[in-house]
Amino acid sequence: MIQLKGITKSFGRQQVLKGIGLTVEKGEVVVILGPSGSGKTTLLRCINYLEKPGGGEIRIGDCRVDCRAASKKDIRELRKRTAMVFQQYNLFRHKTALENVMEGLVVVQKVPKEEARARSVQLLEKVGLGAKLDAYPSQLSGGQQQRVGIARALALNPEVILFDEPTSALDPELVGEVLAVIRKIAKEGITMIIVTHEMGFAQDVANHVIFMDEGVVVEEGRPNEIFTSPKEERTKQFLKRFTPEGVYSI
Amino acid sequence: MKLDPSFIWTAFVQILSVIPTTLLITAVSVVCGLVIGTAAALIRTFRVPVLSEVAAAYVIFIRGTPMITHLLLIYFGLSLGVDALSKQFGWAFRSSSIPMIAFAFIAFSITAGAYASEVIRSGLLAVNRGQLEAAHSIGMTTGQALRRIVVPQAFAASLPNVSNLVVGILHASSLAFTVSVVEVTAKAQIVASTNWKFFDAYLAAALIYWGLTLLIERASALVEKRINIYYRGGVA
Amino acid sequence: MEQPFDIGYVFHFIPKLLSTLGTTLSIVAGSLLLGLAVGLLAALPRLYRVPVLQRVSRLYVSFFRGTPILIQLFLLYFGLPELLKQAGADISKTPVIVFVILTYGLHAGASVCEMIRAAVTAVDRGQVEAAYAVGMTGYRAFTRIVFPQAIAIALPVFSNLLLALTKETSLAFTLGVMEMTGKAQSLTTLTQHFLEAYLALALVYFAVCFTMEKLLLRAERRLLKHERQESEARKRFRSWKKLQWRRYSPEFPPGGRRQGYEA
Repeated sequence: MIQLKGITKSFGRQQVLKGIGLTVEKGEVVVILGPSGSGKTTLLRCINYLEKPGGGEIRIGDCRVDCRAASKKDIRELRKRTAMVFQQYNLFRHKTALENVMEGLVVVQKVPKEEARARSVQLLEKVGLGAKLDAYPSQLSGGQQQRVGIARALALNPEVILFDEPTSALDPELVGEVLAVIRKIAKEGITMIIVTHEMGFAQDVANHVIFMDEGVVVEEGRPNEIFTSPKEERTKQFLKRFTPEGVYSI
Repeated sequence: MKLDPSFIWTAFVQILSVIPTTLLITAVSVVCGLVIGTAAALIRTFRVPVLSEVAAAYVIFIRGTPMITHLLLIYFGLSLGVDALSKQFGWAFRSSSIPMIAFAFIAFSITAGAYASEVIRSGLLAVNRGQLEAAHSIGMTTGQALRRIVVPQAFAASLPNVSNLVVGILHASSLAFTVSVVEVTAKAQIVASTNWKFFDAYLAAALIYWGLTLLIERASALVEKRINIYYRGGVA
Repeated sequence: MEQPFDIGYVFHFIPKLLSTLGTTLSIVAGSLLLGLAVGLLAALPRLYRVPVLQRVSRLYVSFFRGTPILIQLFLLYFGLPELLKQAGADISKTPVIVFVILTYGLHAGASVCEMIRAAVTAVDRGQVEAAYAVGMTGYRAFTRIVFPQAIAIALPVFSNLLLALTKETSLAFTLGVMEMTGKAQSLTTLTQHFLEAYLALALVYFAVCFTMEKLLLRAERRLLKHERQESEARKRFRSWKKLQWRRYSPEFPPGGRRQGYEA
C-alpha cells in the first residue's frame, strides 16, 4: 500500500504542491490527470525523491519517510520499492536494451549475472522486443525505447511503477504499442501510478482517477464517475477539451 | 637554403632514440592529469563545500598562467622546499638527487590536471540529466550512478577533447628541455650543436612531433568510432 | 647558490616585469593580426574547395598544429634567413622580435583557419535556405544571416585562442627576446631569487589573462544576446551545472568535432 500525506513542494517562491494526500491500494492502477503545470509530474517525482518534497510523509509498504527528515538511507529504500518510466525514456545511452534492463538487477539487487540475463530476456520478450536485445537506444524507435524502459522498470519487481507521461514524447503512430504494453502489465496486478494525457487509455486502464489542478487534488474517484459525471467545475472544464473516446485507444 | 638530407636523416635517427622520454612525460602527465582533473571536476560539479572553491582556484590559476611558469615554479619551489625540510630534520636527502624528469612529471601533471578538469566537466554536462535520474530511479546510489552511467558517457563525449589534451601535452613536453631533460627538442639541440645545422636538426624534430601528433589523432578517431556506436544520434 | 625565499622580492619584481608587458602585448597583437589574416586566407580555399590550394592550406594547418611552438620558433629563426639569403635578401640584422611575431602569427593562423571553418560550417544549412527563400542573394545571405551566427559560434573559440596565444608568447625568451619571461630570467641571474621571480611572473601573467578573459566575456555577452534565452532555461538544473559550459574545450566549439587533420 502506498500512502502520501500532506506532500508540499515549492520551486523558489512558487508553490507547486500544496499538501497532497493520496492512497493507492496494492494492485491498483491510479491515473493522475490535470492540465500542464498542475503539479502532477512533480508529485510523481516526489514519490521516488527525484524531487525533494518540502514536507509531508511518504509511505510505501513497510517503509515510512518523513520528508522533513529524510536520510540518504530512506531515499534509497524508497527508490528500491519504486521504479519509474520516464517521458524521455532515459535509457542508458551507452548500454544495449538487454544491459539496460539488467543494470538495476545486477548493480542494485546483486542478482547473479546469468539469472539477471535470463529474467531480462524474458521481460524484453514480454514487451515484444525479443529481437532487439543487443540494440543500443539510438538504434531503436521511440516506442521501442519506451518499451525497454518499461521492461527495465518491471525487472526490479518494485512495489509500484511510476509512469511519467510515458507516451507524450512519442509520434502518434507509436503511442499505441506502448499503451498496449502498459495495459498488458496492468492486468497482471502490478501497482501503478500513471500521469498521462491519454484520456481513453486512462478511462480504460484505471481503477482510480485523480484530477489535480494548481497543486491540489480537485477530485478523485472511479473512472466512470470522473469521466461521465464529474462533480467539480474545474474537472468538467478540463474534460470538455477532450473527446470522450480516447483517440489512440485500442 | 642548402638542406642536408643526409644530416637530417642522421639527426632523425638520433632523435628517435629519445622518443620514449617524450612519450613517457606525455603519458605520465596525461594520466595523472586525468585523475586530478576528474577529481576536480566532480568536486566542482557537486559543489563540495570549501574543496570546490579550492578546485576552482586551482583551475583558474593554472589556466591563467603559461606552462613554463608552472615548470619553473615547481622546479625552484620544490628544490627550495625539499632542501629546507631536509635541513630542518637532518635528512641526507637533497633536492639535487631528485631526477630532473620528476620535476617535469609533477609540473606537467598539475598543468594537465587543470585542463583535464575542464574537459571532464564539459563531458559531464554533455550527459543528459535524465541519465542520472534513471539511475536513481532503479535504486542506484549516486556513486554507482556516476561510476557506471555518467562517467563512461562523459568520457565518450569528451574523447575529442582528451585527444586534444594529449596532443597539447605532447607539444608542451618540449619545454622540459629548460630543466635539462633530454627529450626530442633537447636532443635536436644537442645533435645540431655538433655541426651548427640547427635548421636541419629541428626539421627532423618537427617531423617526429608531427608524426606523433597525427598518430594520436588517428588513434583517437578509431577509439571514438568504436566507443560511439551508441551515439549515432536520434532515430527517435 | 640559491637565496632563501623572501616574499618581498616578489613585490619588488612585479613592477620590473610590468615594464616589459608592452613587449609581450605587442607580440600578441602583432601575431594576432597576422594570424587573423593568414587564417582567413587559409580558410577560404577550404570553404570553397579550391583544388590544390585547399591541399596547401590543409598541410599548413596540420603542420602548425602538429608541432610544438618551440620547434616552430627555432625553425623560422634558423631557417628563414637562410631561405632569404638564397633569394638575395639579407635579413641577418632584422630584430629577433620580427621572427617571433612571424612564427606566432603563422601558429595562430592555423587555429584561426580552423575556427573560421568550424564556425561557418556550424551554421545550419537551413538558415541559408531560409535566406534564399525570402529572396536574399548569396552575398546578402552570407553577410546578414550566416556571418552574424558564425561570429557567435566563433567568439568563445576566439577568446580561448587569444588567451592561449598570450600564454604561449612566454616562450619567445628562448630566442632572447626581452619580454616578460625573458625579463624574469634576467632578474634571476642578477639576484639568484629564482622562485620569487617566477612567482611574480606567474602573478603578472595571471592578472593579464584574467583581465583579458573578463573583457572578452563581456564582449561575448554583448554580442550573443540572442543565445541567452537558452542558457536561462538551463538554470533549472541546479546541482548539475554551473553554466559557463562553453569555456571548456580550449580550442574547439562546444560539442563541435575536431576538424582538420583528415588530410
